[in-house]
Amino acid sequence: MSTSEILFWFLSVLALFSAIMVLVSKNPIHSVLWLIVVFFAISGHYLLLNAQFLAIVNIIVYAGAIMVLFLFVIMLMNLNKETEPSRNIWMKFSGVISGGLLLWIFVSATRSAGEIVGKTAMIKEGSIGLIENLGKVLFTQYALPFEISSVLFLSAMVGAVVIGKKQ
Amino acid sequence: MLNDFFILMKFELLPAVIFFVLLFIKVGTAELSNASIIRLANILLFINLVAGFFYNKDGGMFGDMFHTNALIVLQKSILNLGIFIVSLQAEAWLRTHKHVIEFYLLLLSSLMGMFFMISGANLLMFYLGLELATIPLAALANFDLEKRKSSEAAMKLIMSSAFSSGLLLFGISLMYGTTGTLGFAQLPALLNGSNLQVFAFVLLFAGFAFKISVVPFHLWTADVYEGAPVPVTSFLSVVSKGAFIFVFASVLYTVFKPLADTWYHMLFLLSVLTMVIGNLFALRQQNIKRMLAFSSIAQMGFILIGISGSSQAGTASAVYFVLVYVFTNLAAFGVVALVSAQTGKEDITDYKGFHATNPVLAWVLAIALFSLAGVPPTAGFFGKFFLIMAGAAKQNYWLITIAALNMIVSLYYYLNLVKALFMDANASPVPKITFGVYAKLAIVICIAGMVLSGLASVVYEYIYNLSTGF
Repeated sequence: MSTSEILFWFLSVLALFSAIMVLVSKNPIHSVLWLIVVFFAISGHYLLLNAQFLAIVNIIVYAGAIMVLFLFVIMLMNLNKETEPSRNIWMKFSGVISGGLLLWIFVSATRSAGEIVGKTAMIKEGSIGLIENLGKVLFTQYALPFEISSVLFLSAMVGAVVIGKKQ
Repeated sequence: MLNDFFILMKFELLPAVIFFVLLFIKVGTAELSNASIIRLANILLFINLVAGFFYNKDGGMFGDMFHTNALIVLQKSILNLGIFIVSLQAEAWLRTHKHVIEFYLLLLSSLMGMFFMISGANLLMFYLGLELATIPLAALANFDLEKRKSSEAAMKLIMSSAFSSGLLLFGISLMYGTTGTLGFAQLPALLNGSNLQVFAFVLLFAGFAFKISVVPFHLWTADVYEGAPVPVTSFLSVVSKGAFIFVFASVLYTVFKPLADTWYHMLFLLSVLTMVIGNLFALRQQNIKRMLAFSSIAQMGFILIGISGSSQAGTASAVYFVLVYVFTNLAAFGVVALVSAQTGKEDITDYKGFHATNPVLAWVLAIALFSLAGVPPTAGFFGKFFLIMAGAAKQNYWLITIAALNMIVSLYYYLNLVKALFMDANASPVPKITFGVYAKLAIVICIAGMVLSGLASVVYEYIYNLSTGF
C-alpha cells in the first residue's frame, strides 16, 4: 500500500465516521463540530486529487465561514433537549425503510455500473484543481454560468433584505 | 460577434437591463410614488414583451452554454406575456405595498433564470438557471410581510425546493460520473441505460417533478399557493410551471431519448397518479386558492400525457397548452386577486351570489373555469384535446380512458363554483369590486386569449411547425 492509498482510506473512514456522528449527536453543537471534521476530511481528499485551491477554499468557506454561521444560528435559536421535536415511532420506521432502500439501490446500481468499475481517480496527476487552470476555465468555458451566479446572489440578497427589514 | 450577442441574448439582456434600471431607482435619492413605479415597470415589461417578437435569430454562444431557436423564442415570449399579465394584475395589491421595486426585482431575476434554463444546453447552466428561477420566488412568497401564512409558504417553498435541488444535483453528479460530460449534445451518445444511469435519471426526473408538482412530489403546492400573495401564486402556477414544462419536454426528447422506454412508463404512472389525486383533493377544498392549486396539479397530469406522446405533436401540444393555460389560469387568479386585495375573502362560500354584485368579474371567472374544465368553445378544450391526441398516438388507451374520466370529475368541482357564482343566494355577498385600468387590460387580454387561441387554428399550426419530436 502506497502512502496515498493509506491516506485515502484514513480520510474516507474519518469522513464517514464523523458524518455519522453528525447525525447521531444529540447536542447540536457537537453535530456542528463533527461537521467541521467532515469538511477537513473532504479537503484532504481534494489535496490527494491535486486540487489545492479547492481544498483551501473548502476549509475557508465551509469550515470557516459557514460553520460560524451555523453556530450563531444554534446560539440564537437556543436549541436544547426540551425544544427538540419528538418524532413518531412510525415516522422513524418508515424513514429507516425508505432510506435503506435508497442506499440499497444506490449501492447495487454503482456496483453494476460498467463505466466506473475498475477505474481509479487521477491521484496526483490531475491539474484542473490548480488555481491557474481553474481561473482559466472559469473565465473562458464557464464564463456565462459564472456571471449568472452573480445575478443569483444579487437577487438572493434583495430577497433577504426585504424579509429582514420586516419590522 | 457583438451584434450576435445582442440579438441572440436579447431575451436575457432586456430583463437584466430593466432589473438594473429599477435597482438604481431604488438606491437613488428620488422618491417615486408607488403608482409611478408600477406604471414605469409595466411599460418596461410591455416593451420587453414586444421586443421579443422582432429580430430573432437561431444560434448558440459561449460554447454549449447558450443556444436559441424559433421554438425557444416562442416559449420565452409566452413567459414574457405571462409576467406582463401578472404584473398588471398585481397592481391592486402592490398599490399600498412598501416594497414595490423589490417585487419587480425578484420577479425579473426569476424570469431571467427561466430564460437561461430554457436556453442552456448544459446541465450546469440548467441547474444555475433553475436556482435563479426558484430562490427569488421563495422571497416573493413571503411578500405579505405581516402575515404568518405568507412566511410559512416561503419556508415550505424554500425547503422543498432545496430538497428537490439536492435530488437534482445528486442525479447530475451521477450522470457526470458515468458519462464524463454535462453537455446536452454529448450526453445522448453516452447514455447506455445502465442501472446507475437510470438511477441518476430517476433523481433528475424527481427534481423536475417537484418543480411542476407532479403527484408524489406535490405536497408543498397547496400550502404555498394558499399562503403566498395571489399575484405570486399566479406567477408560480403559470409562468414558473410553464418554464419547467418547456425544459422538461425538450430535455426528455433530446437528451434522454435513449432512455425513452424508461421514461414513458414513468410518465404513464405519474400522470395517472397526478390526475386522480389532484382531482380528488380538489373536490374537497374550501379555499379557492387551494382548489385552484389542486386543479393546477391535475392539469399537470394532462400535460404529462401530451409529453408521453414523444412525437412532434407531443412538444407542440405541451407548448400550446401552456399558452392557453397562461390566459386561463391568469384570468381565474386575476379575479381571485382582485377580490382578495379588496375584501380579503378567499373561501368558496364567499363567492356565493357573486354574479349579483359583480356581473363582469363573475363572467370572467366562469369563462376561465369552463376553459380549465375543457368545455368546447374555449381554448382549454383545444388544449386538452391536442394533449390527449398526442398521448393517444402511443395507443395506450388505458391512459386516455383515465384522462377522460378525470375530466368528468374535474367538471364537477369547476361547475360547483360556477353554480355558487350564479345561482346560490348569499345574505352578505362580496361587495362591488372596483378595478382600475391595469386589471381591465389584464382581463381583456386573458379573455381575448382564451377565445382566440382556441378558435384561430393558425396558433396551433404555428407551434406545431416549430416543434420537434421523434
